[in-house]
Amino acid sequence: MKVIETSNLSKHFGLGETRVSAVKNVSFEIEEGEFTAIIGPSGSGKTTLLHLIGGLDSPDEGDITLSGEKIAHMKGNQLSDFRRDHIGFIFQAYNLIPVLSAAENIEYIMMLQGIKKPERRRKVEEILETVGLTGLGDRRPAMLSGGQQQRVAVARAMVSKPDIILADEPTANLDSKTGMKLLEVMKELNREFKLTFVFSTHDEKIMNMATRLIHLRDGSIERDEQK
Amino acid sequence: MLYIELAWRNLFRNTRRTLLTCLLISTGLAVLIFADGAIRGMEKLMIGSVTKTLQGEAQINRLGFRDNFDVDLYIENPTTILGKLTEDERLSAYSLRVLSGGMIGSAYNSAGGVIYGINPEQEKEVSRIRDAISEGNYLSGKSRELLIGTTLADLLEVKLGDRIVLTAANVDTNELTQDLFRISGIFEFGAREFDEGFVFVNLSAAQKLLGMEGGIHQIVLQFKDPKTSRDNLSLSYQDLEDKEIEITGWLGLQPSIGAMLEYTNLGTAIIGGILFILISLGVINSLFMSIYERIYEFGVIRAIGTSRFEIISLVLVEAFFLGLLSAFLGLIVGLLFSYYYSINGLPLGEMEVSGIMLGNGNLYTELAPYQVIFLPLYVILLTLITAIYPAFFASRIVPTRALQRAL
Ligand SMILES: Nc1ncnc2c1ncn2[C@@H]1O[C@H](COP(=O)(O)OP(=O)(O)OP(=O)(O)O)[C@@H](O)[C@H]1O
Ligand SMILES: [Mg+2]
Repeated sequence: MKVIETSNLSKHFGLGETRVSAVKNVSFEIEEGEFTAIIGPSGSGKTTLLHLIGGLDSPDEGDITLSGEKIAHMKGNQLSDFRRDHIGFIFQAYNLIPVLSAAENIEYIMMLQGIKKPERRRKVEEILETVGLTGLGDRRPAMLSGGQQQRVAVARAMVSKPDIILADEPTANLDSKTGMKLLEVMKELNREFKLTFVFSTHDEKIMNMATRLIHLRDGSIERDEQK
Repeated sequence: MLYIELAWRNLFRNTRRTLLTCLLISTGLAVLIFADGAIRGMEKLMIGSVTKTLQGEAQINRLGFRDNFDVDLYIENPTTILGKLTEDERLSAYSLRVLSGGMIGSAYNSAGGVIYGINPEQEKEVSRIRDAISEGNYLSGKSRELLIGTTLADLLEVKLGDRIVLTAANVDTNELTQDLFRISGIFEFGAREFDEGFVFVNLSAAQKLLGMEGGIHQIVLQFKDPKTSRDNLSLSYQDLEDKEIEITGWLGLQPSIGAMLEYTNLGTAIIGGILFILISLGVINSLFMSIYERIYEFGVIRAIGTSRFEIISLVLVEAFFLGLLSAFLGLIVGLLFSYYYSINGLPLGEMEVSGIMLGNGNLYTELAPYQVIFLPLYVILLTLITAIYPAFFASRIVPTRALQRAL
């Protein structure tokens, strides 16, 4: 089953001389259960592309279909509800609300989804165990290591039962060993729950864990490599 | 409630800033509560001075008498009026008076003034003449007794027991008539107009002097409930009006005081207005600072699916807590101050309003239920209203731009 389908996606920034085409004519499809890395040099358009398929930004041209729904023209609440229910996000750093504990950060998105407290609590415990953070639920982000914080972000991204999890350089702020461990957690979730991941990275070791590599250069797909 | 928790904790991310804002708002509220108490106290003092000193809460006079105080405009037979007064449940006291301009003469000097004939027993209940006696005694009913003000006594170079000759015009014939009195008491109201221009004698003596036995010029009224005097009194005394008699409340007797009271209400409004600006600035500043610090975070929570409405509510709940906390603090401080001065009084110094001394020189603040309920509510509401703009601002944060920022 196709989770993402993009056709001729383009996004430009600026006007006239300073006009930059961050994403140019990008078309690809992602199947359920794929573990895809988007790679490319700095400025190649990775973040822009992830934001487009995640419904954070709207394309200037082209279409995006996510779980069978066209999102390019969704607006306002419709779009933020769609993100809440269908997409999980992990950013490079500072993913968490600092005044909420790890458990509450995970609960937060379920609260937005209107899930009742007992069920939220139960799921949080379950998911903390899945990402290897059992017993750390009461800690505030500041009391967790960078790797632990990112695991909480992973937990939050998956707890809403999204169709896809998008991660923009999730390991960029971690040392390479911790980064590898985070990726292993993600990979495990991918295998066990058939969760679909799309992440961007610079790190060779990390991109090698992907089952598919989409090479970007100057906003266009240079190579699409299945492993 | 995770949402409520979140808002509450957000408030204490920067405890110092929150407390400072809290302090600002609560000081504002405390000032408002105290100022309102002082203004109400002032109003009460003013009304009290006006209505309790001499003039009464209301008066019954012949139509036209108050214009020039023509002595011939008197009520020849007050029996029917008195009948009505005794039936009026709202009344707490009344007193009959005769008054006329006249010459007040001693062996050394003489001066013009107003001669009041009063019923000493009734008068005790409606005015402060007895309390104002500084030397000698109040009237006891003996026909030659006379009370004189300190200033006038100095002018006439007289003391207790000295003789005074009053000269006035007979109400019917207009012929001059004289009578001899002895100073039984000297009074001091503290207001020049009174101490220099008035003498009080027994009602019957004045009636005899003016040749108007049984007649009176004025009935002074006091009510059980001070509010009654603000009603349209003539409604209940309509049949008297037909007989050329008028009843006038103190607002009608002293229109200038009425105007001053309007200003005191304006005073509360002005303080409320200043407070509005103060609180608005404080709240806007504090909320914007806290939103600016959290732009990245707002970007993240917007990205993961928090709606604009949820962001707005979050900021508004934060503001509500800020307002609530401040209102609570301000209420306690304001009430403590107001309560203290409602008992101990604020030293006011000598203050005269329309020739009437205000109380004993102390202003006692007045506490009222609405100060406890509505003023804090006003402050919370104000905080919420002010927070609307920052809340909308936060809800407009664009995730892609916010996410670019802090990295
Ligand atoms: N909001 C923006 N306004 C103007 N230009 C932008 C904006 N966002 C991105 N760009 C430009 O678009 C191009 C692609 O940027 P993008 O952030 O997507 O690259 P990236 O591959 O994520 O880079 P990095 O590896 O450094 O994160 C860059 O040239 C960037 O300068
Ligand atoms: Mg990027």
